[in-house]
Amino acid sequence: MIENSSDVVVIGGGVAGLSTAMQLARRGVSVTVLEREQIGNGSTGRAAGLLGQLRGTAEHTRMLMDGVKIVQELEEQAGAEIYVQTGSVRVAETAEREKEIADLVEMGRSIDFDIAPMATDELAKRMPYMRTDDVAAACWCPTDGHLQPAELAAAYHKVGRDHGVRYETSCPVTGVLLDGSKARGVETPRGEFYAPILVNAAGPWSHLVAGLTGTTLPTAALGHVYLTTQPDPDHPVDRLSPGFRNRHHRIYGRAENGGLLVGIYAEECAEYDMETLPPDFDMSAMKARRDDFHLAMLIHAAQQRFPWINERTPMHVTTGIMTFSPDGLPFCGQLPDHEGLFYCSGFSGHGIVQSPVIGVIMSELILGNRSTYDIASIEADRYWGVPGFQERDEIEQRCHKMQGSYYGRLEGKSADSKTDTA
Amino acid sequence: MKILVPCKRVPDPDQKLRLNAEATDVDSTALTYILNPFDAIAVEEALCIRETTHPDAEIIAVSVAPAEGEDDLRTALAMGADRALLVEHDAQLDSWNVARLLAAVVEREQPALVIMGKQAVDDDANQTGQFLAVQLGWSQATFASQVEFTETGLRVHRETDLGIEIIHVSLPAVVTADLRLNEPRYASLPSILKAKKKPTEYTTAEELGVKPEPRVRLLSMELVHSQRNCEMVTSARELILKLRETEVIKG
Amino acid sequence: MKTLVLMEHDGSALRSGNGAAIGFARELSDDVCGFLLGEDLDAMNCEAAKFAPVITVDDPALADPVADRWAQVIAEVARARGAERIVATSTTWAKDIVTRAAGLLGGAMASDVIGHEVIDGELRLRRPMFAGAVHATLTLEGLPQIITVCASAYEAPEPAATPFAIEPVVANVTELPGSTQLEEVEGKVGARPDVTEARIVVSGGRAFNTSQDFEQLVGGLADTLDAATGSSRALVDAGIVPNSLQVGQTGKVVAPELYLALGISGAVQHLAGMKNSRVIAAINQDPDAPIFEFSDFGLAGDVYEEVPRLIAELNGS
Repeated sequence: MIENSSDVVVIGGGVAGLSTAMQLARRGVSVTVLEREQIGNGSTGRAAGLLGQLRGTAEHTRMLMDGVKIVQELEEQAGAEIYVQTGSVRVAETAEREKEIADLVEMGRSIDFDIAPMATDELAKRMPYMRTDDVAAACWCPTDGHLQPAELAAAYHKVGRDHGVRYETSCPVTGVLLDGSKARGVETPRGEFYAPILVNAAGPWSHLVAGLTGTTLPTAALGHVYLTTQPDPDHPVDRLSPGFRNRHHRIYGRAENGGLLVGIYAEECAEYDMETLPPDFDMSAMKARRDDFHLAMLIHAAQQRFPWINERTPMHVTTGIMTFSPDGLPFCGQLPDHEGLFYCSGFSGHGIVQSPVIGVIMSELILGNRSTYDIASIEADRYWGVPGFQERDEIEQRCHKMQGSYYGRLEGKSADSKTDTA
Repeated sequence: MKILVPCKRVPDPDQKLRLNAEATDVDSTALTYILNPFDAIAVEEALCIRETTHPDAEIIAVSVAPAEGEDDLRTALAMGADRALLVEHDAQLDSWNVARLLAAVVEREQPALVIMGKQAVDDDANQTGQFLAVQLGWSQATFASQVEFTETGLRVHRETDLGIEIIHVSLPAVVTADLRLNEPRYASLPSILKAKKKPTEYTTAEELGVKPEPRVRLLSMELVHSQRNCEMVTSARELILKLRETEVIKG
Repeated sequence: MKTLVLMEHDGSALRSGNGAAIGFARELSDDVCGFLLGEDLDAMNCEAAKFAPVITVDDPALADPVADRWAQVIAEVARARGAERIVATSTTWAKDIVTRAAGLLGGAMASDVIGHEVIDGELRLRRPMFAGAVHATLTLEGLPQIITVCASAYEAPEPAATPFAIEPVVANVTELPGSTQLEEVEGKVGARPDVTEARIVVSGGRAFNTSQDFEQLVGGLADTLDAATGSSRALVDAGIVPNSLQVGQTGKVVAPELYLALGISGAVQHLAGMKNSRVIAAINQDPDAPIFEFSDFGLAGDVYEEVPRLIAELNGS
């Protein structure tokens, strides 16, 4: 056995890479995870952790429902309670958004997803800290919830380790070793690691890792911000309060630590040039300036639904970097230019919730070249060679536009069939 | 009443730092700079004073910095300061000389109160406020955790090793802000937009008639690495022994 | 160089850190003299005289350690004695009063010194910057040099067999500034130090099941060490400890001399709040818990068993 050789090398120790490694290892595959800094300290460590199963299509919703089941299995295997099932609500203020909710309720019910309309007075009772006088309609998903991303990552890490996954930290990948067009391994400052299968789960750095083989991956690194209010006796937020999504104001959130977490997918967001950041960039050290414009927009939006929130509200602000794709869906699978190079990135702010099922999908693709799920919409090669998705500036523009319309666009029957929802 | 708030531009203290090739300073490429957190507290205190007891207070943010220092003055303006002054200076300056420049600004602006952070999170010197007070011949109230106005001046709670010390100082005075003085606000959208119209003036050490005379010469810097090699012990007693060896526990 | 060591006291006793200042001063010069000012200093002067000759200004006008008055007297005496170097141990007293005195004496000051060397007759001082992430080496230009040292960086000398002389000195105490008055000092009685400022933090995590257990074990150990208590988010979520104790990314960021992580697994978000602590020691049931990768010392064990043992060990000695 050559040292530093395994069946698979996973590049990236966030939830995508960890879940994939764990699922492969459970199927008897030897895996080495190479993480440039610390496990779970990239986008994973900054994520809000909402698990909303409802997405724009039945297939995606089913995937996420399975994901929740996988989390529950994980809880047993890791011996830890991770999932907090608070249920979640969506609220609508306009006729369009009302229709959106009705469509989603119908779709959900058609696949046995537990979802029902919720009367506004019921909503007000469950969430007394929310303004409801302008709410036209709401729906209730009792099986939704949230978790602490760090705990999910730790569970993947532990179960993976129990099945023999090797983890190397402070180990950025600086080169890809190829035999012609076949993957052979990677180069790192700590030496070479060999495997015929490589998984690019490098999050915001994914397109740079792809660049090591001259491959164009249409992902972009975009900024995100959410606030977490300090507990306020005048506005108590029960820890089992439902998560919420308010697409009209572009905000989402949940209960956190006695206060309220509110995040935003605003029309504008920060952009990051990952190449200018050092390989040991510590995402957990990111913070918002006092006069951060995106934070100010978040506060303004949050105030529309939670009037007691303003710039003076005692709060903690979390900023981080997400990996967006032009359609808001991840890239899972191989690209035509190489053999053995798998991509697993572009989760567009939904990495945590997708990670449990994505690990299964990736292991199916790697081991059998097909998945039991309908993965047509998340295939890695869907933009391969498509004009307008090849140049870096085009890609960044499209990803930025997708982020901006993430909550802005309508879902349900009025939605563009190619796109998905948050 | 005029309140002057000296603001320092510092690297975000939570980032990983690298040194420049000569090891004489941190490598500023790829570093994020922010308004010194203690100075943000000072700005906030000035804003609170205006909101509670002195509605006519004019709040001036001043920074001794290279041109980029404008960013951090803009933060102060977005929080609510009325105008800003940048004393453009590129080279490193020790606390004594920063104080001299600030003293010249004070002579020009004639504020009744100077509030500034107790220390900057880059050099952690905790000297500039005290040097400024001396150069002005003013009282100082350092490490303030609470500031109130009284008939004779200020009543200030100070955080010291021995507990909270309450002193009275007459105005004008230099107050240096400690961590618990307040929780600085974020800027609201309207406030950020309003700040774009607020004036920023520029000046130099020369214009202020101050020729820096270094008191401290920085020769070199060294990074202190944070890797940890965990030494596993097998008993509570052994743990105590090890901790005593590092001197973090006495005995 | 003629060196004056400013010796801090709290009105009734010398503060223990003074020894480091004397130790540092002695390494550089034989002409070292301690300086006490205040009121009713006889007992303290005698104590100080065990370590160095003492000069003292004892006057009711100096009863309260008020910066503008004390700094003026310090500066006057320093000038009168021709002191070329003035040393003190770095404390809030030194940062307030000695720094002001330094300002009156020309501003050649270095604080929080943790090391030094003399190269070609030039004194090079080492001090922390960026919250200890960087150590800077610097020199001072001009005289006198005013230097404060970290208490833990220098050894206090042993008391001398025969005490040194105590010399009262004259200073102008009638024309002192009167613009600052001390009202009172609210000493910290009973309450534990704040987690963000304590020298030692004892922090508890998921392993603790109830508030009583936390108070008894984490609190008990903290009290033995004069430490603050902290916690990971898990206990706050469970309502076992108040939100103010939470150390971590969305709680408080601390950097004490010693961080004791008890029953804390070491999630990245918790680490973000304490990874700059000087020494980190952890106790956790799981020998593979991530916290151990970020600790200097680790003990795999049940906190319910090990913490009482720690307390017993500390109390026994």
